[in-house]
Amino acid sequence: MRVLTYLAHRLLFVIPQLFGIILVSFLLVKSVPGDPAVLMLGPTATPAAIASLRKVLGLDQPLYVQFFIYVKNLLHGNLGTSWQTTRPVLDDLIQRFPATLELVTLSLLVAIVVGVTLGLYAATRPNGWIARFADLYGLSVGALPDFWFALVLIFVFYTMLGWAPAPLGRLDMIIIPPPSVTGALTIDTLLAGDLQAFGSGLSHLALPVLTLGLLNAGPILKMTQSTMEKMLESDFSRYEVLCGVPERLVTRHALRNALPSIVTIISVLYGFLIGGAVLVEIVFSWGGAGQYAVQGVLNSDIYPVLGFVLFSAIFSLIVYIVVDLIYVLLDPRISN
Amino acid sequence: MPETSAAPLIAVRDLRVEFPGANASKEVLKRVSLTVQPGEILGLVGESGAGKTTLARSILGVPPTSGRIAAGEVIFEGRNILDLPEPELRKLRGSRLSIVVPNPRAELNPTMTVGKQIAAMARIHLGVDRAQAARMALAMLSDVHIPDPQRRMNAYPHELSGGMAQRVVIAMALICNPAFIISDDATSGLDVTVQAQILSLLGGLAADHGSAMLFITRDIGIAAHFCDRVAVLYSGEIMELAPREELFLKPAHPYTLMLLAAFSHSPKLRDAWRVAETGARQIRDGGCSYANRCPLAQPVCSDGRPPFAEIRPGHFARCHFPVSHE
Repeated sequence: MRVLTYLAHRLLFVIPQLFGIILVSFLLVKSVPGDPAVLMLGPTATPAAIASLRKVLGLDQPLYVQFFIYVKNLLHGNLGTSWQTTRPVLDDLIQRFPATLELVTLSLLVAIVVGVTLGLYAATRPNGWIARFADLYGLSVGALPDFWFALVLIFVFYTMLGWAPAPLGRLDMIIIPPPSVTGALTIDTLLAGDLQAFGSGLSHLALPVLTLGLLNAGPILKMTQSTMEKMLESDFSRYEVLCGVPERLVTRHALRNALPSIVTIISVLYGFLIGGAVLVEIVFSWGGAGQYAVQGVLNSDIYPVLGFVLFSAIFSLIVYIVVDLIYVLLDPRISN
Repeated sequence: MPETSAAPLIAVRDLRVEFPGANASKEVLKRVSLTVQPGEILGLVGESGAGKTTLARSILGVPPTSGRIAAGEVIFEGRNILDLPEPELRKLRGSRLSIVVPNPRAELNPTMTVGKQIAAMARIHLGVDRAQAARMALAMLSDVHIPDPQRRMNAYPHELSGGMAQRVVIAMALICNPAFIISDDATSGLDVTVQAQILSLLGGLAADHGSAMLFITRDIGIAAHFCDRVAVLYSGEIMELAPREELFLKPAHPYTLMLLAAFSHSPKLRDAWRVAETGARQIRDGGCSYANRCPLAQPVCSDGRPPFAEIRPGHFARCHFPVSHE
């Protein structure tokens, strides 16, 4: 019951939070120099043409009127149109956001498995070689740029070994994409029973997921390691040792107490990677939402940018609400 | 060192525990030896910093953080348990040798209900299934006189008062029927009335289960009422060891006298034995470690470590000039 009231409370706050985010993003995007009308018409445009296009786009109105019109359209489900793709932003994002989400989710799963496992080993055997390897791993992974690492993986696994497919998107050219249910290829191909497409999608996911997963395992590893070390030195862990609790159980109990910190960093990474995966998306021609937004920024195409901000803000807010619920479930001291 | 003719249940021999220091290691326990007979309650009295908790935990092979057992043996059931590999030792801890810790709310796992934690002891050491362990835990909670035990089973440590949490820890220490219990300052920090209840509970349970106990405390008065024999610990060394009546009627070591005087009702007696504060306590190699605070100290006290001599049958004191009561 208290979970439901807590949820209702948080969802109520989502509306003003979203409004604030949209307002700030709108003002920021509008303050970037660059006239969309000029960019759209090109260098040979006449001032008259530019002026009439500005009028059509509503760019001659005062800022608060533009914002009011934007919000009104939002409430009708109209996120504007991208002048680059000439399609409604909503349609573009519905197609692209799941691509990014699928990539980021699978990468995060890899990162969690690698990071938590290595972190656990490093904390329970501090003098072993895994601990030393983990230190090196955390250090190097923080220093490597993700697009460079992606290129290295492509070179090794595609160019040299030929194991991975060409980095040209999510599916082989000859495969027909399945009907879009969730937008995630792994799910949609299975739903359609198309195992060949499933295999193709998986093979194309392999390298980008490996890139993002291995690189983002670093902070998860470090957080797991340091939190576990603290837990294992705490009073209650030492008391369990005094009571003769076997080592496996002591570690399990310590991990249970360390989970809030680990969950925190995972949630932060999740929100970050939605936009942070953009360089990997570009290297692999992924057709993701981050790419879309960056193109929008570079070309003063503001609606894709604002649309992306809206989508990723909603996503982050949901993630944080879920994480807060997990805290309440994990720690009996937070409830009243 | 021969104390009684019967074989002791547990014998600590020449235990040395050190901690890392700024320049050299600091010896917190200096060749401590004691024995506990089956069914006996041996009291250990000492002030803060004497090494009581270090001794309690080192007997079980788990010295406090950063401590190291440098030498010594703990003979239990015919073997030196400090030589055992860690998994073997963990089988003994909690089942045959257990400890009651002070400040229980900090020591219990904050994310597990107390019922689960007590039941876990039964499941780990006695191998019973979940349902049986829960029944045993509930029975144990009744035995330690926790009010409304069924509800308390599902409580978390932070929801309990100090006295109740202390009873939980006692339940955990006793549920597997250990042969030997170490009670480390189990009643400090509790109200006086709760203290009295916990003491009588501990004594009764130990007698019921036939367990021997090492009862560690800072309060010499409690030791007087509760224990069969009492040892006095100062600066990591046992200074005096005697049966209860002997220690309180005829104390031999100046430090024991000071402890008794400090608890005395007579202000004249307290003043006579009051010593300078414990401030600068230099560790002198080779001399008696009490020499720099002792009102009866002679020059020889700074030169030679006094032997642990038997001044009367069963009564030992580590002093060059033990106080005589003839």
